[in-house]
Amino acid sequence: MAQRRAPGIPPQQHQQVPFVPQQQPQAPMRPMPPTPGLPFLSFDIGNSGYGGSAPLQQPGYSSSSSASTGFGAAFEDEPPLLEELGINPSQILQKTKSVLIPFRRNLNLHEDADLSGPFLFCILFGLCQLLAGKLHFGVILGWGSLASGFLYTVANLLSGTRGTLDLYRSFSLVGYSLLPMILFSALSLLVPRQGAPIYVMAGLIVLWCTWSCTSLLVVLSPHSEEQKRLIAYACLIIYMAFALLIIF
Amino acid sequence: MAWQQQQPPRPMQPYGYNNFVPQPGMPGMPPQPPPGSGDSAFYNSDLIRTGLGAYGEKLFGSSKDYVQSNISRFLAGQDIHYYFQLNEQYVKNKLKIILFPFLHKGHWTRIAEQVAGGITYKPPRYDINAPDLYIPLMALATYVVLRCYALGFTGKFSPAVMQSSFSHGIGAWLVEVILVKGMLFAVGSGEVPWLDTLAYSGYSLVGMSVSIAATISSKYLFYFALLWTGICMGVFLVKTLKRVFLAEVRSYERDSSKHHYLLLFVAIAQVPIFLWFTRL
Repeated sequence: MAQRRAPGIPPQQHQQVPFVPQQQPQAPMRPMPPTPGLPFLSFDIGNSGYGGSAPLQQPGYSSSSSASTGFGAAFEDEPPLLEELGINPSQILQKTKSVLIPFRRNLNLHEDADLSGPFLFCILFGLCQLLAGKLHFGVILGWGSLASGFLYTVANLLSGTRGTLDLYRSFSLVGYSLLPMILFSALSLLVPRQGAPIYVMAGLIVLWCTWSCTSLLVVLSPHSEEQKRLIAYACLIIYMAFALLIIF
Repeated sequence: MAWQQQQPPRPMQPYGYNNFVPQPGMPGMPPQPPPGSGDSAFYNSDLIRTGLGAYGEKLFGSSKDYVQSNISRFLAGQDIHYYFQLNEQYVKNKLKIILFPFLHKGHWTRIAEQVAGGITYKPPRYDINAPDLYIPLMALATYVVLRCYALGFTGKFSPAVMQSSFSHGIGAWLVEVILVKGMLFAVGSGEVPWLDTLAYSGYSLVGMSVSIAATISSKYLFYFALLWTGICMGVFLVKTLKRVFLAEVRSYERDSSKHHYLLLFVAIAQVPIFLWFTRL
């Protein structure tokens, strides 16, 4: 092995340079050729590798191969993920539009309650609050649950024997009607914190949310038409509480 | 689900509304339990059933029966749906009575009618003097939210304030309940239903909400509203409790001066209680 010298250093033959055996990087270890008596796992990728160890692992190999082909078949038969989870994006979009656009809407969409839209809105609300510097994710979730429980209690007690609201649907309604709050939260970033504009906006948005929630409730349980204002007051309280988070 | 009357009817007890069957189901939700399955209050079984589904049966099967038996024993013969049979007109007029009791031209006694089990009172829908639980509940919620707003305007709001406001609201309601119940025990009539007492004491929260709303505007308005609503609540409670005493107490004790002193105490105690709970 030749000693390597750094370039530019004049060779000094009389200097005792410590002998450092240098190993050249060698070629990768070649697999030993399989001897007949010794089964050896080769590192080839592919089924031939399994073949090399077949005598030892025959039962496992066959079961794994059959399992792999079995999995392949089942994987293709599975329904798409969103459908399996029950999330229907087009319906969520339609429900969102029905809340956003106060006129000419088909309120019967909300017969089929779902929680994925409200959950999305809670996260969006939390994000908008985060932009204002307030970490309110847990607060929104907690207040939302309490509010829907409150609405559930009040609506059922008022309707007496004919109450058809259940907790799931209550949460769904409160959540969907939270959409104008998200707008308010986003807009409040652009408006000074003290002063008339934010309170005026708060009033309008709270009324919008209340109106949307009440009309949804009345459509879904038509006999409560005569107690509409009583339920509306309960919704008003709920959304005033959410507006608190945004204003202060 | 049938509402079970688990005790024999007492003179004040049956409001004439048996067998409430709250129907929670909607298409696609879990099927309703078979009738006569022995469930009662909706807020006991429905909440658990729809909330937890199949797991609820497993987890809460035994404890549900225990809780149900205790709650139904407590509320047996007290029909909470009676207190929610309202319409908007009743609520409007009742609020007028609470805030301006001296303007009420009619009488203050509840309309009673005789049915098989004893005397029942007409529900709030037909009788302006009947107690209800909707107004106290809404007044509590209003109190909580308005207190948070008032604190927000002075810069002290944070989400934890909501919990403390709720505690204040419940505390106010509790103090009033203790006061009214204490009066009733002192007079010797312990048979007034608990929910009635809850209702009468809950009306004070309306006055407190108005006072807190006045706090937001100005200090002077706050003191004026405080005095006004405190005195009005005193008058309201005196007139109502007087009728309750008359209905409950035996005839030889009517119109005794002890009653009058107790009623005076109730009226005078209102303003300090209001001051205690409307301070921020």
